This record gives sequence, C-alpha cells and structure tokens, in this order.
Amino acid sequence: MKRILSVLIALVLVLSMTAFAEASDMAYVQEKGVLVVGITDFEPMDYKDENGEWIGFDADVAVAFAESLGVAVEFVEIDWDNKVLELDSQAIDCVWNGMTLTAEVTEAMECSVAYCNNAQIVIVPADKADEYSTIESLAGLNFAVEAGSAGEAEAEANGFAYTPVKAQADALMEVAAGTSDAAIIDSLMAAAMVGEGTGYEALTYTVPLNSEEYGVGFRKGSDLAAALNDFFAAAYADGSMAVWAETYGITAALIPQA
Amino acid sequence: MALIMEQMPIVLRSLNVGFLQTLKLFIVTLIGALPLGLVISFGSMSKVSPLRWLTRFVIWVVRGTPLMIQLLIIYYFPGLVLKKPIWGGGEAGRFLAASVSFILNYACYFAEIYRGGIQSISKGQTEAGLVLGMTRGQIFFRVTLLQMIKRIVPPISNEIITLVKDTSLARIIALQEIIWAGQAFLKGSQGISGAIWPLFFTAVYYLLFSGLLTIILGGLERKLDYFK
Repeated sequence: MKRILSVLIALVLVLSMTAFAEASDMAYVQEKGVLVVGITDFEPMDYKDENGEWIGFDADVAVAFAESLGVAVEFVEIDWDNKVLELDSQAIDCVWNGMTLTAEVTEAMECSVAYCNNAQIVIVPADKADEYSTIESLAGLNFAVEAGSAGEAEAEANGFAYTPVKAQADALMEVAAGTSDAAIIDSLMAAAMVGEGTGYEALTYTVPLNSEEYGVGFRKGSDLAAALNDFFAAAYADGSMAVWAETYGITAALIPQA
Repeated sequence: MALIMEQMPIVLRSLNVGFLQTLKLFIVTLIGALPLGLVISFGSMSKVSPLRWLTRFVIWVVRGTPLMIQLLIIYYFPGLVLKKPIWGGGEAGRFLAASVSFILNYACYFAEIYRGGIQSISKGQTEAGLVLGMTRGQIFFRVTLLQMIKRIVPPISNEIITLVKDTSLARIIALQEIIWAGQAFLKGSQGISGAIWPLFFTAVYYLLFSGLLTIILGGLERKLDYFK
C-alpha cells in the first residue's frame, strides 16, 4: 500500500512540475551536460572499432558537435523503428545515423540541412564511362543488381534488363568480370569500394538514378537543428568536413557546402 | 561451415555480453518480484476492502496487458507525456526501466501463486495455533509459510523458466540483451553482415540456462520434502 501510495504521490508531483514552461532544447541538453545520440550499427556512418568505441563519419562529427556545445556525447543503440518515440520521450536527443530525409522523417523531426548524398548509382568499367553518361545511353545494357534492393527497384523502374545477384558486392564482381555490363548499387558503397585505391580500380560510377539525402533529426521545434546547421557551415569552411569524409571514404557522397 | 568457425569468436563474445544483460535482468527481477509478490498477495487477501479491491485492480491491469506494452509505457511515458525523462537515454536507464516493469509484472503473478499457497493451508492449523497461544505472526511464519513454500515451488518454477525467455521482450526499449546481440549480425556488425546463424544460436544459451535452472529448482523441491 505504501509503495502504491508513494508511486501515486510521485506521479502527481511529476505532473505538477510539467506545468512549468520548457526552456529551449539546447538549454536542456547543456543543463544535463550530455548529448544523447541515437544510432544503429551502420558502417561507415556509425560503427564500433576494435576497442568497442563508436567511430564513423557521423560519430566523429557528432563528437565534435557536442564539443562545440560544451557537452559530452553518449551514443545509444536504438531500435530504428522507434526513433521518433525515442526522440519525443527525450530518451535520446537526436537521430544521427545516415538517416534518409524522407517526408515521414521531416514531418516528425526538426531536421538539419542534408550533409550527405546517397543514391542508386550506375557502375561501369572506367574506360567506357564516357559512353554512358546519361540514363538514355544505358538502355540495352545488361545490369547486375542485388535482389530485393533499391537498385533492383530502379532497374525495374527504368525498364533495364537485369540479373539479380545475392549482394551488392557480387554485382560489382559481375561488372569486373565482364559477365554484366553495369551494376546499380548505393553511392555510399560505391564511394568506398570503386575507383582508385580500392579493390575495383577499373570500375567507376556514372549516372545516379534517384537521389536520397542524409540529415540529422532533432525533436520537433528544437533549436539544436539550427545550431547544427551553423556547426556544419563552420566545419565546411575550415575544411574539417572534408577531412572526416576522407577518413571514412565518403568524399564522393558529401554534399558540397550550399 | 569454415566461415561460421571464423565468425564464431566475434559472435560468441558479442552473445556473451548480451547474455550477461539477460542474466542481470533475470536476477534483479527475481530479487525484486519474489518479496514484492508476497506483499501484494497480503494486499489481495486484506480484510480492509478498499485495499483488497485496489490490489486486485492492479493485478488485473498488470496481468491483463502485455508485458511489451508495459515496458513501452514505463520507459517512454514519463518523457513523452510528463516531459520528465526520469530514466535517461543510456543503457543504465533502460535497464532500470526494464527491471521495474519486470518486477511489477512478475510480482503480480507470484502474488496469485502465493495466495493460492497460503489459502491451501487448512484453517484448522491456524485455529490449533491460536489455541496453543501462538501469535498470528508466529503461526504465519512457523506453520503456514513453510508449508506454503513447499507447495508453491512447482508453479513458481514454471514462472521462473518463463521469465528466462521473457527477458527478450526488453529489446523493445533497446535493452541490448542476447536476442538483440544475435540479430545485430543479420544487418551487419563488427565486420560480419548478413549472418543468420547467430540469431538462432541464441536459443542454445536459453536452453542451457533453463536446463541448469530446472536442475536447481528440482533439487530445491526435493530439499523441501519435509512434512509428510
């Protein structure tokens, strides 16, 4: 009984406290001294190094952003399906994990500017790249795409002839071996796996078939989104954005400063 | 097969970390729920009718709603509705919220088992105790409780085994227990992606652990084989 009573009293107390108006979201984060970043395991944006520390393009930028706010950063793995719930319940302060800015996302969250492109992109042998610089020129080629991927959907939508393979990496192998003329994969992956200094030096990427953009999501109405935009602007200006992108091999996908 | 052997050390390390979290939740739940259940069972048998009805109402709500929903409500409700995220977003906060949900939920089931056990001891024994000049407290602890414990071991064992597997529900609030750890390799983690077997392999952990519990609880049952 005492337990139940005390819980009830605590609830009433908590309820009465909510009557006070909330300060800005930035003030809230600075007061508690930690920016809680909701992520998933997603290389090269957020992933663990050998020591179990979170690294990656997004992780590194998030650490620097928290530093600029004068707070510590805490990475928390979340269930991706619950990201809006996590944000709204203040369990986390932002979603920063290569999040595609879809209509659903921008409606439910206060989003930063887009900082990174992702697209379904066409891979061809480097010596033939000039012939295939437009979507029209691709008709008649034989494509390799990952079964069930966004790449397959694009091949379907454009009416290309294609062979479904098991993974995006297999699609690249098909092109390298000449068994397919071209492949369609994620541009982020293309940036990391194709071109000079990679395992597929003889391949290159040409036409993007659709475009997706990554952004960071904060609580609806949060002033942190604007703060991050300012931080991005400064990081573009002093070149640190380019350095981070270089570190994780996503230079091709980084959106140049608008 | 060779690939699985290669992945094995990384996967096992990750599953062990997850299983430790499962184990922690299991132990904390038992430590909290076993005594709390007794308190609730007293409430549900109280002679004070408002207290009795309140307790039975709580038991009805807790047993009548899915534990998964209770986890979501207990973890997200304070921040979402009251704007006071009392648990915090970190792993410790998620564990605490999961513990509170599990303790409350299991205490209500335990309470009903306790009530059944206590009420199964014949009134005649209490009356005999009173005639002999024992206090009600003495009668409860020296006569009723001992016999009740013996009788409730099988149904409590049932709940304990169920609890081992129910801990996996805590992944809904992103508590990284063993199923979460196994599932991470499906999408990709620590350089292993698209591996399905770690998820299925978690079943081995559950099976071994509940086997161990079955042996321990069976031993306990034999040990309590006094009276009769």
